[in-house]
Amino acid sequence: MNTLRPPSPVDLVGESDLSRAVDEMATCLGVDSFGEDIFEIRFHAPRISSLAEPGEFAQLLVDDGPIPLLRRPFSFSRSDPSSGMVSFYMAAIGQGSRRLRRFRPGDRLRMLGPLGRGFCLPEVRGTSILVAGGLGAAPFPLLMDRLLGRGERVVFLNGARRAGELYPENRLPPGLEALVVRTEDGSRGQAGRVTDDILDLVQGAHRVYACGPNPMLSAIADIWSEIRIGEGQCPRLEVSIEAPMGCGFGTCLGCAIPLRLPSEDPLAGPLGLCCRQGPVLEAQELDWPRLLLQPSHLG
Amino acid sequence: MNLEQGVDLGRGLVIPNPIGVASGTFGYGFEAERMGTLARVGAIYTKGTTLLPRAGNHPPRIAETTAGMLNSIGLQNPGVEVVAKEYAKRWASWPVPVIVNVAGSAIGDYVAVCERLTGVDGVAGLELNISCPNISHGLDFGTDPALAGRLVEAVRNVTDLPLLVKLTPNVTDITAVGRAVEAAGADGVTAVNTYVGMKIAVPRRAPVLPGLGTAGLSGPAIKPLAMAAVARLRQALSIPIIGIGGIGSAQDALEFFVAGADAVQVGTANFYRPGVAAEVVEGCLRFAEENALARWRDLRWTPRS
Repeated sequence: MNTLRPPSPVDLVGESDLSRAVDEMATCLGVDSFGEDIFEIRFHAPRISSLAEPGEFAQLLVDDGPIPLLRRPFSFSRSDPSSGMVSFYMAAIGQGSRRLRRFRPGDRLRMLGPLGRGFCLPEVRGTSILVAGGLGAAPFPLLMDRLLGRGERVVFLNGARRAGELYPENRLPPGLEALVVRTEDGSRGQAGRVTDDILDLVQGAHRVYACGPNPMLSAIADIWSEIRIGEGQCPRLEVSIEAPMGCGFGTCLGCAIPLRLPSEDPLAGPLGLCCRQGPVLEAQELDWPRLLLQPSHLG
Repeated sequence: MNLEQGVDLGRGLVIPNPIGVASGTFGYGFEAERMGTLARVGAIYTKGTTLLPRAGNHPPRIAETTAGMLNSIGLQNPGVEVVAKEYAKRWASWPVPVIVNVAGSAIGDYVAVCERLTGVDGVAGLELNISCPNISHGLDFGTDPALAGRLVEAVRNVTDLPLLVKLTPNVTDITAVGRAVEAAGADGVTAVNTYVGMKIAVPRRAPVLPGLGTAGLSGPAIKPLAMAAVARLRQALSIPIIGIGGIGSAQDALEFFVAGADAVQVGTANFYRPGVAAEVVEGCLRFAEENALARWRDLRWTPRS
């Protein structure tokens, strides 16, 4: 019977440390709008701010009432432990985010975090390329802070469908090695997708961090796997993915994501949980065709 | 306070307080152990456990609805061997009783799982899930009183553990199934499991969840429905009833006690309020003190005929 036991995702890629999570009453400090529906919401949450690492997320209980019912997961965008501030960058597209956009300074909510597994920070100094697709820039300001603090060279590839969806440049920390801007409609920066010439852009980089819509991440992962089959010369690629999430700490089993290990049958790969094994994974740990079949959030 | 806090669920199983956490909303308790939210929980009803490991359904598995959520997890679990060998050991040192929820698709499966768990240190009781809406099988034990009775009888023959049966509300007369399992030797019933529901995505002209699109609805949206089921069962049964359906506060739990529940389970609320069971316990105890309550069942309503 033991041979029938599916490989445990925990053994394959590890899991988040739930003992770090705290459920803190957070106070809204303000909402900064960036045109269209995009905004950054800042909270005073000193305990969580002191713990938050790049790529990890918090679950926000946007309303005490039953609508919307579930918490909403957002990656930390910025965190300043000295002032106890954490922020989240998002668009008002669903019930939860629309409610958050109406928050005023002084409004309070329960915030559970940090949750999930974040980005691996380099041991040895080098060059990191951060590739963002639209709102996928959300976790990068905090990642930039931590990378720059370690003396890492950081290149930011800021991509979006159009200018209004780009991460606002005036919010970027000083000290970036380079900033490359791409919009699909050419309304700002070079016209095209971040994936068009990504191999040229990552020449000489030691690691690549990508966050954006799952199809964009899948496209990058495809390029990586082709290289892997050929030269075997490409920097480590970590992606932050999305899945419809219930609890955020592994009990509802709602945010299943298909994993794939190099040696395994792609049709029978195990399912991991976005909230425990992710949201950040190495690109080759994911079964991208199966991942693309599912929606990315609760809506 | 002269309140008798504990509740006797039969065969010597006295849970320290009537507020448990529902199957499928608390895993096997280990996440809560890590997060420090096990305190004050009256009983843990585990994730549905089957004879063999199950990987569960392909995602997407959940959707949010008005004041509720739909799930179609598909009984993802490591199988009874892992539970009996590895998990139970850890439960044995916990102050909270752990009742293993058992699922299957044939009587033989249920019997084998229950037999395996009997006599295992750390397993305080069994809750038969005869009503999982999310796995396909030929026989639906939960909707056929005679079949439900045969299943309980078969399990009763192999175990002396306290035996609860979790009933599905997706039947015309829930009391018929309740009576059948009581007659077959169940020590109590849990009412209710999720309601069959569906959410549609108009842009895709299809349900949000895959397969046939149906899934189990839980959360505050089902509370009045579950309340009515508990009240009806109370009139029909004499064994303990564990009420469940949209409980997220002491007020909710107290309402279920009035309707006829001996104990309750907090379910979906565990997802958005980890540690909520402790708050429900505190609130119920406060109420008991203020109202000089001696036993929870003294709250019970008796309908006039």
